[in-house]
Order: sequence, then C-alpha cells, then structure tokens
Amino acid sequence: MSDEEAFGLWLGRQLRRIEMSQSAFGAELGVTRAAVSAWITGRAEPRDETKREIARILGVDQATVYLRTEDVPSGRPVGWYHRPAHADGGREFGNAAAFAFDADVAVLAREATQNSLDERLDESRPVRVRYVLHELTGEPLHNFLGALRWDDLLPHYEAAAAQPQKVGRVIAEGLRELRETDRLVLLRVDDYNASGLTGPDYGDGRFAAVVRRQLDSHKSSGFAGGSYGLGKATLWATSRLGLVLINSTLSAPHEGRTERRLIGRLDLPWREVGGHHFAGPAWLGEEDSEPEYKGVSRSWWADTATTDQLHLTRANSEPGTSFLIVGAHDAAGDAESVQDMHDKLVESLAESFWAAMTRGRDRTALLEASVTTLRNGQIVKPEEPVDPHTRRPARTRALRAYLNGETVASLNELGQVAMTRVPLRIPVLRGRKGPDVEHRAVLLITSAEDNDPSRPNHLVCMRGNRMSVSERRVPDLPLGTDPFQAVLLAGHATGEDSEDARLAELFLRASEPPEHDDWTRTDELTSRYARGARQRILDFRRDMYAAVRDLVGRREQRTDGGPGVLRELLRLDAGGGPATTGRRAAGHPTVHHMDGKLDDGGAWRVRVEVKLPRREDAWLMTPVAKFDVRSGKRPTVGWAELIAGENCRVEQGMLRFEPGARTASFSGTTDVASHPVPAAVSRLVVELQKAGGAGR
Amino acid sequence: MKTAMPYPTPAGEVTLQVVGAKVDGRALPLHMISRTHQVVALHEVERREWDEVRLELRAELPRGELSAGAWRDVVCVAVLTEGATNARTTARLSGTAEDGVRTGSITLTRGSHRSRAELSLYVVATVEGVPGRIIGGTEESWIVDLQAREPVRERELVIHKVDFRNTDEEWLRPYRDAPWLIETTGEMPTVHLNTGFEGIEDLLEGSGNPVEKAVRGMLAAQIATEAWTAMFQAAVDGLDVEDGVPQWPTGWRDRVLRGLVGDVFPDLSPADALRELHARRSEGGRWAELQPRIHYAAARRARLARNLGTTVRTLERSGEDNRR
Repeated sequence: MSDEEAFGLWLGRQLRRIEMSQSAFGAELGVTRAAVSAWITGRAEPRDETKREIARILGVDQATVYLRTEDVPSGRPVGWYHRPAHADGGREFGNAAAFAFDADVAVLAREATQNSLDERLDESRPVRVRYVLHELTGEPLHNFLGALRWDDLLPHYEAAAAQPQKVGRVIAEGLRELRETDRLVLLRVDDYNASGLTGPDYGDGRFAAVVRRQLDSHKSSGFAGGSYGLGKATLWATSRLGLVLINSTLSAPHEGRTERRLIGRLDLPWREVGGHHFAGPAWLGEEDSEPEYKGVSRSWWADTATTDQLHLTRANSEPGTSFLIVGAHDAAGDAESVQDMHDKLVESLAESFWAAMTRGRDRTALLEASVTTLRNGQIVKPEEPVDPHTRRPARTRALRAYLNGETVASLNELGQVAMTRVPLRIPVLRGRKGPDVEHRAVLLITSAEDNDPSRPNHLVCMRGNRMSVSERRVPDLPLGTDPFQAVLLAGHATGEDSEDARLAELFLRASEPPEHDDWTRTDELTSRYARGARQRILDFRRDMYAAVRDLVGRREQRTDGGPGVLRELLRLDAGGGPATTGRRAAGHPTVHHMDGKLDDGGAWRVRVEVKLPRREDAWLMTPVAKFDVRSGKRPTVGWAELIAGENCRVEQGMLRFEPGARTASFSGTTDVASHPVPAAVSRLVVELQKAGGAGR
Repeated sequence: MKTAMPYPTPAGEVTLQVVGAKVDGRALPLHMISRTHQVVALHEVERREWDEVRLELRAELPRGELSAGAWRDVVCVAVLTEGATNARTTARLSGTAEDGVRTGSITLTRGSHRSRAELSLYVVATVEGVPGRIIGGTEESWIVDLQAREPVRERELVIHKVDFRNTDEEWLRPYRDAPWLIETTGEMPTVHLNTGFEGIEDLLEGSGNPVEKAVRGMLAAQIATEAWTAMFQAAVDGLDVEDGVPQWPTGWRDRVLRGLVGDVFPDLSPADALRELHARRSEGGRWAELQPRIHYAAARRARLARNLGTTVRTLERSGEDNRR
C-alpha cells in the first residue's frame, strides 16, 4: 500500500500529537526510553504483541497501527489561526498580489489552468482540469458553514468589513449578500495528473509557495507559463470572502502520506478583534504541535467525512490539487448567475487553452478541461468537456495539421494549412560574448471558419505549454484579403526539444509583462540580455507579419493601372454605393413585401405591401404582374381584380396612393386568360410602373 | 425583387463555395480564389496556355428544413454560364442528405468562354409530385474571371497612358493636342491619357503641395465627369429593344446605367427610368432636354462639387498665406 508510512515516523508524530514524551510512553509500555527512541529513528521495530499494546495506549484499533494511514485523534482541534499583527505596528489593508488581477472568472480560468499545466505529472497523458460551480442554499449551506467554523470567522469578517478600503467594501458586499440571499457559490478547481502540493508546511516546496507565501513562483521547470507567482492570487481574488480551501493528493509522500492534505487560507486586511490586532492572513488547520510553530494552524490529513463536509472530496486518488473558492463571484459583472459563470468559464478555457487541448494523431493533448454546475448537490449543467475543435475550429485545424505533419507550403484549397518558419535571433546574456542563436518559430495559416468566434485576420502567438500569449490583427493586409487565422508557435510550443527552443523560451518569457499577454520590450529583457535585445523582439514581430502576408499570398494592387486619384472616381460598382455618391433612399414607390399563392381556378392571388418615399403629392402607379423567366423579357399578365388596401384607391387599373403616406397595400388576382403558361409552372413578380406609360 | 412561387420553398440559406481549382491538373493558389468577393481569377495562372479549369465545389443546404419538408429527391446542380459566348455547363453535386453538405466539381473549358463566367447553384426537387422544380439557389453567383489577375468583383475602366504623337494606334495621332480622350467602343471603356501633353502625368501622379493636390483632384473630377457622361450616352445608344420595350444591357453598360439613372430620374424606379430614357432617345427633341440631368448625374458621380470645393478652400488659404 503506497500510503503506508514507516512505523518510526508515524509513531514519532503520534507522540508529538498527544504531547507525550518518549520516556513517559516507555514507562507506560514497560520499556526504556532508548527502546522507544530506537523505534522512532527506525533502527528497530516493536514485535506484534508490543504493537497491540501501543494501539491500546494510543487509544486506536490495531489496524491503525499496522496500516498507519491515519493519525490517532490528537484532541488537537482543527481551527482558524490568525497571524498576529506585525510587531512594528505596520498595517496592510489587502493582499497586493490579489490586486494585480480583477476578480474575473475568465482571468481565474487562465491563471489557475496555467498553473495546472505547469505541474503536469505524467508527460504521456494530459493534465485534467475540472471546474465545478456549486451553489448552496438552505440546509446544505448551513452544514457547510458549520464545517468551516463560520461562527469563529464572523467577528473577523465583520471587523474587516467595517473598514473603508477596497477589500473591506468587497467583503461587506459578500457578507450582505450571504445574509440577504442565503446563497453561496463555491467554485472548485481540480486538477488530476498534477504534482499536488508537496513539501513541508513551512520550508521550501510547492505547499509553502501556494499556501504560505506571496509572489513565490515555485514551478517545477524553468519554462513555466507563469513566472511571477501571481497566478494563485487570482484564486483568492475570485472569492468575495477572500477564502480558499485546499485538498491536495501528493505525487510524492509527505510525512509518509499522500491523500487528503487539507488546509484553508483566508486573506483579510489588518483588523482588531476582541482587543487583539491581526496582520491579515489566517489558516484553517490543525494546531501545530512542533515547538517552533506552537499555535499555528498547519495542514492536516483529514478523514473522509470532514473532507466531504468541506466539499473537498476528490474523484479518485490521482495526484493533484482541489482549490475551493468560497463565495466565488465575477466582478467583471457579465456573469451574474452560476449558469452564466459556467458559460464564461467554458468560453475562456477554450480561448486560452484551445491549443493545449488540441491533440495530434499520435500526440496526446497537454490538457483536458471541463465545467460542471451543481445546486445543493443536484446537477444544473452536466459536466461539459471543453472541445477545442468545435469552439476554435480554424486554429485547432491549423495546429492539428502541424502535429500530424500535414501542412503544405502554400494554400491551394480551403481547409488546408500552410506552414513556414519565422526566425528569432536570440542575443547572448549581458556581459557575455558570442553570436546570436537563431530559433525558427513555426507559423501556421488556414482559412477562417464562419462559425468561429476567433477574430479573423489575427495572429495568435504562443510558447511553452501552448497558452495564447498575444493575439493581434495582422497589419497592412491587401484590401479584400479572404479571412484567415494564423498561429505562431515559438520555443517549446513547436514541440521541439532543441537548445535553440530552450533559449527562445527563456528569451520570450523575459519579454512578457506580468500579464503574460505580449512579447514586448520589457525592462527584464534589457537587464538580462546584451544590447539589441529589444530590437530583436521588434524584428521578430515584423518578420512574423511579413510571413503571414506572404502566405496569404494576395499581392498588392498593381499600381500601373493609371493614377489612383482617377481610378478612384471611375469605379464601376453597380448602384453608386454610399462611398461614391452618398446613396439616397429610393425616390419612387417600391414593393416592400409580397405574399402570393395559387387559387383553385389557377390564378395568382397576391397581397402586396408598398413603401412610399416622403412626398406631398399623391402617387399614381400601375401595378404590373409578370411571370419571372431566367433570361429575356418577362411576359406581362393581366389583372382580373385589384382591391385597394391601406392608404390607396384603385382608379381604372391604377393605384392612387394617398399624399403623405409612407406605406400602402393592395391585393390582386391575375387574369387566367392572360397567362402564357399555367400559373402552376410560373413564378410571379409585381412591379410598380409610373402610370400613363412613359409620359411625364 | 420579390418573387412569389407556386409551391413551397425552404427559407434557409443555400451557400456555394469554390474550395479549390486545378488548371490542367495543377492546383491554383488559394489567394486567386476570393470567398469574400466570390471570384476566381484565372489570368496568368503560371502559364499562358491552358485548356480547362476544374473547380472543386462545396454547397451547404438548410439541412433540418429539407429533411422535414415536403421536398423529395433533392438535387444540387452547379451551372456555369457566360452570356457573351452563350456557354452553359452543368454539374450535379453529390452528398448525403444528413449533413446538408454537397460536393462535386465543374469543368470550365477555355474554348467555350471569353472573359467572365458566372457560377450559380440551383436546388431542384420533386414538389407535390412535380419533379424538377427549383426550390432554391445562391443569392449571388460566383464569377470566374479569365482575365483578372486578382479575384475582385469590381471591374475598372482601362486607363491607358500613351503619347498621342508617336503611337502605333494611328487613330490617336490627330488628337495630339488633346490631354485625354475617352473611348467607349471596346470590351471595357478606356481613358487614353496623352503623355505627350506636357505636365499631365506629373500633375496626376505626383505628390506635391496642397495647391497641386487640389488641382489634381479637380483635373481627375473633370476627366471622370467626361468619362461617365460618355459611358452613359454609349450605354443608352446601345440599348436592345424587344417588342418596343428596352432591355437592360449587360457588363459595364448595365453598371453605368443603374449607377446613374437614380440621379437622372430621382422619382422613377430603374425600370421606369429605362423606359423613359428609351422614349426620349427615340423622340429626339426631348433627349436634348435631358442633357443637363445626365451631366449633373455624371458630375455627382465624379465628385466634381466636392473637389471644386476643396480647391476653392485651398486657394483661399494659400492666398491668405501669401498676403502675410
């Protein structure tokens, strides 16, 4: 059993938990302190009958001692530990890292999923990310708040909400809504096949980086998408209550355990509660028994019941982490209901990660993602896998063709994907000498699709784990270029593991601002690389645009067709068009709408609506019915009957429309005797001609 | 134009795409096919001599409506025509009814076409027991242009720069002192610019100061006014009359007439305006009365008033500058 912990480690922790010394424990057991020490340090292990005796003293069943997957009840309460205020009296009224982002679920999806991608464990399978929105009301809500020890938190929240700063206002609004609507939205972000929060509670490692520290980017590789450690702050920023609970299954055991490592973290501003001053953050966990951290709440290995009550149960024992954002909201304001948030999550996952989710014939995707919405445990929207092929068809097709090696050098047919290389020259680091290294980024082009929300004629750039870094309109395209989609893959996004790809990855990362949404001339670029680094980025962009224009292939209009100023005035587009003459509305009555059907006698019965231009005088028009033909003259048919409708009179086969009227209608039946062919094989059109023929 | 049909037709849209083209078996670059303009440009396709072009087609039909409605044996037919040669080629597209997509190809034989072929799609079905009824088609047809270098729908007049004094086109020589000449007899109307007329090229093509720009605008508007007037007259001159009723011409004449009649007869529908034009042309005297209106429409089209306004303002401003 993988969960099994060495006996010594386990026993040592149990003794600390119940605060019993080794000598006291030995005395109780009838052995020396040295014998107990030998067990704890792993030099010896007690015999089976001694183990049974140990179980009795610790007050657990024998299985616990043999399996060692659970801790003995310590009597150590799980509770909230609030960090005391700084000794220097400094006060912080909010988490600066959280302010770098707006509370927008689209931003959350981007940042949290990026972190999951960076922590992918088994490189032969995708990392799976599940977003679960869960709306709680009534009984389930109260059960959850109970498990959270809400009553202990409330005084802190009220103190924080009373403050006038931004965080205070957000919290006050969150509390008011919880009180008035009796409704709370939980947003859970799970990843599977990821590292999980490994490492000790306080020392260096993934756990401490996420739970204890700000702006610490502990990423497993040097090529992570994020490099500022800001991403995790979006989790707290998305919570109206600044509260996130965490359950992690570790890929490498800590304290001999991997499953159900729980902790909660609350980010509040400085506050005074019950005469004590508190610095800001608070943690939900087990009171630490280590002398160094006495009183601090640390992560604990929870039982399944507690995990369930806190809505943190994971689907299986695969490594990864679940973040439960308590009081999730979308401050961008366009997603009010959980259903809206669901749709927005799906769309933003597709927008940022369509490439990471695209797989080739023989290559797995880097990522799979889905969104589910529940209300009090009942499914509102079932699990919806984010499918890049339906959401971003053109770009996905481009990438897939590249992965499958099915690109062409130039486009000859719709649906094809053309590929070319764009050079990026990477300068040496500052203070070193040597030639530039050339990396050849991959540029892909394909025709845009009609049902694709991607903006046409844009170029998407990506590196690393194929997260979209920037999306820009390609400038200076020839007029009338057919809509296309372009994708640029640089560094590891090319799927190449070469030295130049590695250098390109580092160089481009240095050129990204904290939002990771552009390659531009950053200060980091200037400080790390030799002179000319900023110019290389500009050259790179210029070259990628030129490559797009080249692949799109439309040449500039030839300029030897005479002087432009004259050509402009001689365009032959039919009807003049607004650009040439400032097209006016029709100055004559027009048929606006017509309904027609055949009657039993084989005649056409039509009802016609007419649009009239504004005029003081009455219009006198002749309605003319004709059979439509493919070419040549249309035969005119006579009327058997004309009936005036709205705003007109029938006068000797003509229509007199009332002065000043803007619309009119009439009905008519054709004269079967005048039909050149049976009406059943005809199509009918009705024209309005100036009455009295061609005369004025 | 609103047309009434004697049997039910689907309301959904029918679309036609040219997804690729092969010239004598060799693929044409996709940029010679414009989906935006619905044009395929065939001129100078890598080689001058070619015999046929095979166009790969893809049509989409309103699937749900067709499978639920009263239409049986739905067939999709692509039709390639050219009025100038009276050529007509058809091809049936194949595909299953389920996804509403039909694909196929149609071949354009060079010998049967001259300049621009039209490609349209008809959807034919058995309706109420009657086979072969057209129940839909493309709203706007594709154009396969045998002469265009780039796939654009709009065609431009030919602007021909030539020195009238020494040219092989002898008929131009007598006009050596004319700065330009408009010819409306060819396939496309042509503006001959006399490069032998000193300064006209620089004036029309240079950059220059604001005054020069203003004068260039005026000159261009002047030439364009004359061109539109000449083209309009030529188009009316060439009207075909069937049973006493004038017919709309084709090609550039159609564009010119439709483009200008709205300004010549603002209160007549295009069809009435065409009859009126024909009537006046036949009656002589009343044709002369119409000249101011034609000139007005041509000048409006050439943006003469706007260009003159710009020139006047520019001259005023430069006059002020000079006085300072």
